[in-house]
Amino acid sequence: MRQSSPGHAAGEPHLSEAVAERLADVMFALSTPSRVLILGCLLEGPRSVGDLTSILSMEQSSVSHQLRVLREHTLVRAERVGRQRVYALYDEHVVTLLRAGLRHVEGRGQPTASDSARPVLGDRAAGLPAG
Amino acid sequence: MNDRRDTIELGADVTQAWFTPSADRRSLLDRAHRGDIVGALGRVSSADAGPRPLYRRRIAALLAIMGPGVIVLVADNDAGGISTYAQVGQDYGLRFLWLLVVMAGVLLVNQEMVGRLGAVTGAGHARLIYERFGRRWGAFALGDLLTVNFLVIVTEFIGIALALGYFGVSRYISVPLAALVLIALPLAGRFRRWERAMYLLVATSFVAVPLLVLAYHPTPLPPVPAGPRHLAPESTVFMVIALIGTTVAPWQLFFQQSNVVDKRITARWLRYELADTVTGTLLFTLGAVAILVACALAFAAAPFHGAFVDASTVAGELRNQAGQWAGALFAVALLNGSILGAGAVTLSASYAIGDVTGTKHSLHRSWRDAPKFHGSYAAIVVLAAAIVLIPKAPLGIVTTGVQALAGVLLPSALVFLLLLCNDRAVLGPWVNARWLNVIAATVVAVLLVLSGLLTISTLFPHAENNWLVTAILVISAGVLGALFGLRLSSQNVASPAGRHLPGKPVWTMPPIETLPPPARSTTRTIALVVLRAYLLLAVLAVVIKIVGLIAAS
Repeated sequence: MRQSSPGHAAGEPHLSEAVAERLADVMFALSTPSRVLILGCLLEGPRSVGDLTSILSMEQSSVSHQLRVLREHTLVRAERVGRQRVYALYDEHVVTLLRAGLRHVEGRGQPTASDSARPVLGDRAAGLPAG
Repeated sequence: MNDRRDTIELGADVTQAWFTPSADRRSLLDRAHRGDIVGALGRVSSADAGPRPLYRRRIAALLAIMGPGVIVLVADNDAGGISTYAQVGQDYGLRFLWLLVVMAGVLLVNQEMVGRLGAVTGAGHARLIYERFGRRWGAFALGDLLTVNFLVIVTEFIGIALALGYFGVSRYISVPLAALVLIALPLAGRFRRWERAMYLLVATSFVAVPLLVLAYHPTPLPPVPAGPRHLAPESTVFMVIALIGTTVAPWQLFFQQSNVVDKRITARWLRYELADTVTGTLLFTLGAVAILVACALAFAAAPFHGAFVDASTVAGELRNQAGQWAGALFAVALLNGSILGAGAVTLSASYAIGDVTGTKHSLHRSWRDAPKFHGSYAAIVVLAAAIVLIPKAPLGIVTTGVQALAGVLLPSALVFLLLLCNDRAVLGPWVNARWLNVIAATVVAVLLVLSGLLTISTLFPHAENNWLVTAILVISAGVLGALFGLRLSSQNVASPAGRHLPGKPVWTMPPIETLPPPARSTTRTIALVVLRAYLLLAVLAVVIKIVGLIAAS
């Protein structure tokens, strides 16, 4: 108990631990730029591995591998269209999640009442040793 | 209280350390591979990046981090290992004791390298091979691993059946029971619980020490006028090679790397992981030497000298030579080693499958949380146990097949390992030092020759094989290997300077899919060409053997 995490001190969590674990698993799948790029591509519609490979100019093996990880985390599902196998975002929640994420990084979100993220970051930056 | 005082005394350092980014690995496939280290004997926070000036705290961290190296190396004294040490001791006395010490050094070098790969990259061994050597080599490495692992697990169940058979338990009870225990061990999804169970097996493996004490005072026997059996020199060569083949196995590489990743050990803790591997090597040596010496002493003046049959007969003969306790202790050691070995070997396969298919694969996850991980583990265990229970199953062929296949796979795994450990894109400042490359390349070259000989002598038991030819081949391979190791290092020009980079403790591999393709160098090409040629020869030998068998029937 040398360093307690700040999350526990501030406010009672509304999520059960099991739900938090599952949500964190989903977010983990978004923690690598290459997987986010693939999801971004799928935001425009279903794509085959070949499409994704040529659009993102990534290696085909790594596209397949990242798609497997995304499927494991129920962000993407595979469908058969004719003889081709295409990948699509799992459901509309994933679409909403990605759209909200994009708006967030573009800085277009509306501040909420308890928005205290920025001052905390500011404090930490000020505490860094110069140079 | 102490912590606070350190902070005041070393204020500047501590502040700096707290703000250095933690060595978070960016190629992880499973969120469960990120977080606090929760070992059997302690816990280390993932936020813990500060220096550890107090020995007390260093030891606490070591106890928490220790595990992957100790488990993998003690598990090396498994059913195959114990039977081989017993055979060598019984048939040759103490003549090959030195070889075990050499093998311990080889194991240490190999396991240190995979531990480093795991901590720095966060990726499993199979995935690194896929990404850096392409799909074909990756599929080859994975397929071979799974095949050999499966056969090894079958031999572990044979060991369990023999050991409990010594106590009069039917294999139809002992084998299913052992399978259930093995499946239950990781099921709860608690890494700490699994590691504690493994430690219990590690601790039980020390029954080999009292066995040695008992064997040292064998009950005096009337001299037996049996004529000494003369062991043919070719069977001696085979014996030596089999000893090496059972000691250095590919599953150990895959297991330790994945287990280090799963235990959340980062580059910040590499010194502790090295201490873990060294401890494991010492425990391995102790266990193996105890079995070999015990059998050598017990059978020194006995009619069984030079007449090894299998592990269960060893237990029975030990009872006759050194008393009831000695036989029982040997059976317990065999049972324990088989369970530990089966647990670790199966896990290495499940880790590798999860690693390549991108599914969740962690001991931190329960059955419900990672069904494919636990499912593949259970399927392998059940299938292997079922084979042992088939009446009149050709178990002898399995044992021979293990050695032949292990012979094919081992050198290829080591070639990949050596090249990966010299890949600047993968290990950055953590690439192999020059001296390590020379040692490792020599070892790989010697093993390549010995495994080739093992494959040939397994397939052609009557082939001409003598000490002189073996010695010449081994020495020339060793010299070539050492030269190759020097060459590997000369391409890593920045290597000596890179070892003291200020950012070294927190350097981690960039996301694996963003790495530049491996540089095309002559050393790399030579290594892969040699590997291809070697595999081609091995496959050719297998084909000739099969054709011969078909023609004979």
